[in-house]
Amino acid sequence: MKTEDLISSLAAEPAANPASGVETRLPGLLVLGLMVTALSFTLVLGPRPDLASALANPMVLAKTLLPLLLAALALPLVLRDARPGARYGLPGALIWAVPLAVAGLVVLAFLTVDPADRLRLFIGHSIPVCLPAITLLSLPMLAGLLMALRRGAPVNPARCGALAGLVSAGLATAIYSTFCVEDSPLFYGIWYSAGIGIATGLGALAGRRLLKW
Amino acid sequence: MNDRNALWGDLLRRGNAGDGAAYARFLTAALPVLRNIARARLAGGTAEEVEDVVQEALLAIHAKRHTWRDTDPVTPWLYAIARYKCADAARRRRARGGGAASEVPIEDLAEVLPDEALGETTAARDLGQLLGRIDARAAGIVRAVGIEGESAGEVGARLGMSEGAVRVAYHRAMQRLKLLAEETTTEPGADPGRQELAGQEAETATGRRR
Repeated sequence: MKTEDLISSLAAEPAANPASGVETRLPGLLVLGLMVTALSFTLVLGPRPDLASALANPMVLAKTLLPLLLAALALPLVLRDARPGARYGLPGALIWAVPLAVAGLVVLAFLTVDPADRLRLFIGHSIPVCLPAITLLSLPMLAGLLMALRRGAPVNPARCGALAGLVSAGLATAIYSTFCVEDSPLFYGIWYSAGIGIATGLGALAGRRLLKW
Repeated sequence: MNDRNALWGDLLRRGNAGDGAAYARFLTAALPVLRNIARARLAGGTAEEVEDVVQEALLAIHAKRHTWRDTDPVTPWLYAIARYKCADAARRRRARGGGAASEVPIEDLAEVLPDEALGETTAARDLGQLLGRIDARAAGIVRAVGIEGESAGEVGARLGMSEGAVRVAYHRAMQRLKLLAEETTTEPGADPGRQELAGQEAETATGRRR
């Protein structure tokens, strides 16, 4: 077929449906995933009994707020990444504040706790729960995001999937943190980050396969 | 550059709102730029390969035209799609074994070329297999337009589709068949020379584009 004929055929097709975009589908699917995650969390883990009083400690509040901030900043990035030629803009710069703050908290905790306690706090007692829980809790939201993103046009599908993984891992970690009683940044700064890293990697792998167009 | 963004942006905005003529003008205006990008990215590609990628880019632009926000400049969006499709094509070409360099002049193949008649049955059988792997409607359109030589209008009237829709469906089916044929040729254990040949004949048999 000649290219000119192709153009006239394409022009004869009905106009683009503006409601078919990522932005219209994503909120509903993300909320659906979030509901599945929240329900699984409530049924299997549930919040710690002393949650309200624990959150008065800024070090404990940070382990919920930082992943929430990460998700909030990664969400506009994933939307932009699904649009060819779009720039990340301000959220793309601000998101680096989250790992910097985590690193700062880890260093601060390292310097302020009794050297004899460092290793005990770092190893904690719940790594075998923490890592799989963060990964599994992020999967429903990751699935919803990827489903919505298939309507987009990410020119780097793996990167877009990784950003979707970051959004869902951030939300999953914030939810998980209300269960976890390991309140030292030496624990959560390292192991939450590892869990988020795993979910982000899964997002990249899934994105590379599912978001190709 | 800004003029181009303003003009093309206006055309695509009207196109996305349903103005087919403006949309056609947008695609036609973008065509030379798409060809330049494709030529640059497929260094050493034949004119036909370049045009194939240009057509793929046009189909991608069409399928993803809702991802352009009409407040954004249009050229970064357009070029990003073109580069993505070119990278895709270049990767496929490398996987196939180096594009133009792998095209052997026909004289060198005279010794190993199969008997003409045998070649044709192989091509027909391979094409039949490939058609079995795409959806029945698209396969029907390829048979009618490419093999039986019906016009897009006739097929459209029979299937209750517009002539343009038939052309687009035919084009998409051909792209799909081409990818399937390439997959078949890169499968381990397949006899590359023979399969490639069959694939090419299949393409000729169904009416080579441009």
